[in-house]
Amino acid sequence: MSKNEEVLLTVSNLKLNFHTYAGDVKALDGVSFRIKKGEALGLVGESGCGKSVTALAIVGLLPENASVIDGEIVLEGKNIIKVAHDEMRKIRANRIAMVFQDPTTFLNPVLTIGEQLEEVFLLNPERLARVATEGRIPEGLLEVKEEATHTKQDAFEAASAKLSGSQAKKVARELSIDVLKQVRLPDPERILKQYPHELSGGMRQRSMIAMALARNPDLFIADEITTALDVTIQAQILELLRELKKELLGSTLLITHDLGVVAELCDRVAVMYAGNIVEVAYVNELYANPLHPYTQGLMRAIPMIDRKMDRLETIPGSVPDLIYPPSGCRFHPRCPFAFEKCKLVKPELIDAGKNHSVACHLYGEGKP
Amino acid sequence: MTETVLQLRELKKWFPISGGVLGRVRGYVRAIDGVDLEIKEGETFGLVGESGSGKTTVGRCILRLIEPTAGQIVYRGQNITKLKSEALRRIRRKFGVVFQDPYASLDPRQTIKSALTEPMKYHRIVGSDEEAVERAKDLIKRVGLNEDHLYRFPHEFSGGQRQRIAVARALTTDPDFIVLDEPTSFLDVSVQAQILNLLSDLQKELNLTYLFISHNLSVIEHMSNRVGVMYLGALMEAADKDIVYRKPEHPYTHALISALPIPNPALERERVVLAGDIPSPVNIPSGCRFRTRCPHANQYCTEKEPALIERQPGHPVSCHYDLKLSTPIPLAETVPKT
Repeated sequence: MSKNEEVLLTVSNLKLNFHTYAGDVKALDGVSFRIKKGEALGLVGESGCGKSVTALAIVGLLPENASVIDGEIVLEGKNIIKVAHDEMRKIRANRIAMVFQDPTTFLNPVLTIGEQLEEVFLLNPERLARVATEGRIPEGLLEVKEEATHTKQDAFEAASAKLSGSQAKKVARELSIDVLKQVRLPDPERILKQYPHELSGGMRQRSMIAMALARNPDLFIADEITTALDVTIQAQILELLRELKKELLGSTLLITHDLGVVAELCDRVAVMYAGNIVEVAYVNELYANPLHPYTQGLMRAIPMIDRKMDRLETIPGSVPDLIYPPSGCRFHPRCPFAFEKCKLVKPELIDAGKNHSVACHLYGEGKP
Repeated sequence: MTETVLQLRELKKWFPISGGVLGRVRGYVRAIDGVDLEIKEGETFGLVGESGSGKTTVGRCILRLIEPTAGQIVYRGQNITKLKSEALRRIRRKFGVVFQDPYASLDPRQTIKSALTEPMKYHRIVGSDEEAVERAKDLIKRVGLNEDHLYRFPHEFSGGQRQRIAVARALTTDPDFIVLDEPTSFLDVSVQAQILNLLSDLQKELNLTYLFISHNLSVIEHMSNRVGVMYLGALMEAADKDIVYRKPEHPYTHALISALPIPNPALERERVVLAGDIPSPVNIPSGCRFRTRCPHANQYCTEKEPALIERQPGHPVSCHYDLKLSTPIPLAETVPKT
């Protein structure tokens, strides 16, 4: 395995139910995928397919009525699915950062952007130290300390240990300004003093991305972060993510229902349907050669402005009720190619060549 | 020459902002600030724009759900801007509307039968209850549901089915002009395709004229014959679909289309990313309203507002300059194997 093929996160056979009065919703039915270091993986599917639940499971923020039946989520060799609350908080503080669709819900309306952003640094002296070693520490502050010690790391650890409350705040403020500049927010000093309602939707989403960047995560999870934005603002955020991806974001898991956004940003893409991953491939391969009947149907159902389409093809029926999911392949009641085996046996993801895997009996043994 | 079904002339809608102890009017939200457009018989006119561009307000003014501040709405040669009571009711029969959110637009305590028959009775289209029910049965089948569904309540339906019911309701009074205000924005793509196909089929069968309002450029491209692009309450450009999407002449249209994420990673194109945010419709910039974000703006643009001028027949553009813009999204030569 070459160096850039190193795996950061592996989700294997994740099964998860939600308890409701109507019955157990079988939301995830054995989800498996890997995210390599430095890559951007897109997770696409329609509402209710389980893409957001998968992300919430990764960051340990599942709602109370969810229970994990089976499976592992391994972050660099460590299974994080059942770690204690405190440890999960540390993982969220240092390693996995998630940004959600609607920034207004996740920003505290009574605190300024500065208070919320500086907190990320203040609660995390180790982060301050790590940022320092990467040369992203405000210059004046570091140089003074460096005279006394040998390395930047030592300097900063010494510094952060000794920092009094007001000094730490000052450092955090400097770092916050830095990170707001990284998300290309104009006039960061002023934005630190503003409340979320004073910012536009695009600026709020940039602030959320700044808070994620402040944690310098190994994995950045973006859950429909451009869905609520206008086209021109979405374009700005996509451009920002493209730029940040190269240097700062580490690996990205991009969750969206928009196949266009995936084509813009991702290296690989996983398609979900009704709690299963049905197809995984590199973006070029997937868009040029979709194998799973659901992916094919989805591609033909979206109006695309780069080609002439007289009539959209539709996938008959609608997404199944996951309290009573269909037997075998969950897509079989809507699939034009379904045969006997599809009703009985759940297809596993199989290799179809070209780093392309698909969960469909049409490509396995015993096809008709 | 096909007949013009609807024409807007200098249509304006300013919402007053009142405040202070005395409740004086302190300013206006200039939601629509002078829109001219023409919709022809049997066509789908797509109205596209970002949030706050006034596209929904245009739709509501046409239906007279809100009263325009100034300007004229002309339906088949008749000025309907000031019509009242009985005359308004007679005209409204000819209009249908489908709203964005099928969860909000259907009364949860009304059966589908009642939702469909009530407008027929109000507009005195039917002579008896039996006739109304017959028509309702016919309509519900037309939109791909069945008679049994008439006796159910909205909560028993999925989003896509509800939108079908909303379409059926829009057809109850035999309209010839329908305002579709983001009819598929709430739906998933596979269901969206079903509704879009349904709307196309109905248009052909019943010879309907549509005003299709959406922020979704791909959907507008698929559905429309002609497209108008709105920004901050004004029309920036209108033309046949292929001109708007392949040879736009307004820099806003160009940026909007070039910035759209396309599900084709192999597509090579140049993206124009506009800086900044959409200004507030309370403080519309002086001169050209787009100039604060326009990559080509100069001093003249801040001073003088460009008029919407027809550059070719049926292609008005609101820009001082002829910019010779590139094709934002080229047509793919090969269609992927399906």
